Amino acid sequence: MNDQLKAILEVLIFLSQEPLTLDKIKEVLGEVPEEELQAALVALQADFNQESHGIEIIQSAGGYLFATKPEHDQWVRRLLQIEKKSRLSSAALETLSVIAYHQPITQAEVSAIRGVDSTYSIKNLLQKKLIKIVGRKKAPGNPLVYRTSEKFLEYFGLNSLDDLPKEEEIAKILEEEKQTIS
Amino acid sequence: MEQENQGWPLPTAETEVNQQTAGDGYQVKLEFFEGPLDLLLFLIRKKKIDINDIPMAVITRDYLEYLEKKEQINLDREAEFLFIASVLIYIKSQMLLPREQEALAEDDPRQQLVDRLLEFQKIKVASSLLREKEEVELQRWRRTFRPPLEKPDELELLEVSLFDLAETFFLIMKRKERENLRIIKGKDVSVEDKLKEIIDYLEKNGPMDFLEYFSSQDSLEEALVSFFCLLELVKNHLVVAIQEELFQTIRVWLRKDKSTHPIHGPGHE
Repeated sequence: MNDQLKAILEVLIFLSQEPLTLDKIKEVLGEVPEEELQAALVALQADFNQESHGIEIIQSAGGYLFATKPEHDQWVRRLLQIEKKSRLSSAALETLSVIAYHQPITQAEVSAIRGVDSTYSIKNLLQKKLIKIVGRKKAPGNPLVYRTSEKFLEYFGLNSLDDLPKEEEIAKILEEEKQTIS
Repeated sequence: MEQENQGWPLPTAETEVNQQTAGDGYQVKLEFFEGPLDLLLFLIRKKKIDINDIPMAVITRDYLEYLEKKEQINLDREAEFLFIASVLIYIKSQMLLPREQEALAEDDPRQQLVDRLLEFQKIKVASSLLREKEEVELQRWRRTFRPPLEKPDELELLEVSLFDLAETFFLIMKRKERENLRIIKGKDVSVEDKLKEIIDYLEKNGPMDFLEYFSSQDSLEEALVSFFCLLELVKNHLVVAIQEELFQTIRVWLRKDKSTHPIHGPGHE
């Protein structure tokens, strides 16, 4: 294993503020064989996965970044003297799910799926930058069209939209629920 | 927790659940539900009904019972509940009507509602799965700042969307309007000239202060044209527009790789 490469990667990830993409790494390092790079990243992640480390390297929104392990949350909060971070309201989360699975989508379409007017929730999500406007639909009134943002992926620790819970996963849960009911 | 709620993110200790012995089991306040579809799904589950074969009479009665509990209907919040109530009653009446042809039996008046419920059910599950992910991510901490850099004037910048630009533009236009200009000028401003002017300015002076530049325009028309030019430039990847915070000024500068996206029309490289 190329220890020097691992060390350099560690430095790069440590220094970047946003998830560090593979493209960016290649741009910085220049000519390093793809396999070697991948192997070093995997090895580096494994190093940090050990219990003796409180920080790990996660893949989020298409890149690598350092984050503390969830189990140490209470210690961080004690150090910084802050309460638990606030969660999204259930209306906002529901709206976000609709947008995530049906994007690109308009406000009226979101409201139709939820059966509830979603103007306020959408405004809220826009403010939090979890969704973004991507244009207008060529339909009466030219309504705005929304998509989830990069920050959405980061917020939920997803690497890409492919990481969203799959249709089959959802169907399985519904099937299980059905069985517990009857 | 009640048997019926297993695996379903419904009433928990935090929410107000009215335990009543009357009727069948417990009642939950209307406010608890995210919307009418949420309530419908809850009733369907409670009655252990097959979602593909909903007994309309039963479910409509149960549903209306919930609405009747309200002494007053708050139209802002509950109009949607009333709407679904009318849908239910409509479907029920459709089913009571004799069918002209048996062939049309496939055309179940409930189908549309069932499709909506199935889709909504999926969204609810997806929401609860995302909630779990959120829970984990909220316990992770990341660095949100860079170690201090040498250059003190390097600000933390955000790239803005065209919509942010537009919003800032209207803000400025409002300000300009307040100045109440009375001079009418016959000067025509062409988009081509303005494009050139902006690019020249950027090449000569470097980053431009959006707010300052636009308020320095002589007329409303000229300001308008320059704004369209800016949108055009951003669209063609010739410039970068950056705003540090919402409602603050937007800084604009040339992209270094601008030559790869030639703008339409002559006169620019």
